Amino acid sequence: MTHSLHREGTLDSLERDYALFIYPARGFNYKGSGPKVRRIMELLYLKAPSNMIVSTLRRNLYSGVRPEEVLESIQDGARIYCVFNTREKLKEALSGVKKLDEGISVVVSGLSDRVRGIAAEIGLNPHTINLSLGIHGRTDRLPPPDIRQFTTMCGHGMIAPALVRDVIRRIKKGRLNLWDGSIILAAPCTCGIYNPNRSQEMLQELVPLYTFHRW
Amino acid sequence: MIIRQETCVGCGRCQPYCPTNAIHFQDLKSTVDQEVCYECGCCLRAQICPVEAIEESPHVYEYPRALRKYFSDPNATHALTGIQGRGTEESKTNDVTHRVGPGEVGVAIEVGRPNIGMDLKNIQKITRALARAGIHEIEPNNPFLDMIQDPLTGDLKPELIGERVLSAIIEIQVKRDRLRHILRTIKGVAREVDSVFCLDVYTMLEPGLTVPPEVLEVIESEGFSWRPNAKINMGLGRAWERKNS
Repeated sequence: MTHSLHREGTLDSLERDYALFIYPARGFNYKGSGPKVRRIMELLYLKAPSNMIVSTLRRNLYSGVRPEEVLESIQDGARIYCVFNTREKLKEALSGVKKLDEGISVVVSGLSDRVRGIAAEIGLNPHTINLSLGIHGRTDRLPPPDIRQFTTMCGHGMIAPALVRDVIRRIKKGRLNLWDGSIILAAPCTCGIYNPNRSQEMLQELVPLYTFHRW
Repeated sequence: MIIRQETCVGCGRCQPYCPTNAIHFQDLKSTVDQEVCYECGCCLRAQICPVEAIEESPHVYEYPRALRKYFSDPNATHALTGIQGRGTEESKTNDVTHRVGPGEVGVAIEVGRPNIGMDLKNIQKITRALARAGIHEIEPNNPFLDMIQDPLTGDLKPELIGERVLSAIIEIQVKRDRLRHILRTIKGVAREVDSVFCLDVYTMLEPGLTVPPEVLEVIESEGFSWRPNAKINMGLGRAWERKNS
């Protein structure tokens, strides 16, 4: 999951992309965390995340999984991974989790300035920051940045550059719409932080720029 | 992963799902290049095969090939750490664990991501450079540590050279005054690595989500810059178990 801080894209696009994690700590607050995580899950679900997963089930919001199945799967040590597409939704979610005061670690991955603003508004005092110093080494071997803004939305690198190109091709052919294309791209991401709302916007911008000979 | 050739109908639908382009046509059927495959299981989980020809390789849990799965499949739980994924809880639970305390920094070097993956000899180039520079403070709970044969030289176990994984993370925790030396060492070895790596620095914050200026000064003066997005522990956790339970 270390990779969520390396999400790429324009500042404007990252303004609508905030991953949020609920994370019990082994040996510290793991035992007895199940009911607490369940209460947080219920709250977050009602804040309309763009995507969401619980580590004990690993099926995202668009997989056809029922909310009851998700809640029933939660046990001690379960972690929640979700993503919000507006600053306001994130603020509401954080505010609610603060009010619940379950004592489980909460992590936000997003624009630091925006998170700083939200923390000040709701009276949170962030503890630790993980800064991305970028990508190094053979960067010439990377796919282009416009493809990476999709692939880096999965914390584990499960979105293949070829799948992004395939979805773009199918949208151009009229076989898929932008939203369905985004859901296809979200499916391989088993950490549930692929943001299909942001993906839809990016596809809309990108599809006219690609021509068939590129794949 | 394998594709049963007697079942495959050669539709090619599975091919774009492979993060490492290991699936290609051979004799009008899709086949997995076993040398390139990371065993991440993406093709199987996609459930895209109309005839269910995709299966796990019968040798996937045999050492050392099993490391491909542990370090590439996010759903695989590593036998040593009991944690899904290839890292640790690092900064995510630092408000509870205080692994990186005041005056300290954590550095994570995630080799292979994004998108490229790597042969493990590339991570050995970094561990050797770190060892030569006298940097031995590698996080003991990271599953990667088990790959190292000699911490003094940074050599990996010889049977691992040639194995490939989607990524592995070297995590280091040191006092802040060692950060400059670490960043300089990493910068020096970057050009030798035939893959990519992401670099992270994590540290406790000062009030108001302020990054300690001495950390930023070191990062900047060593020629690095930081992205506008970051991973931030919001400070809402607390411990209720005994630390050693």
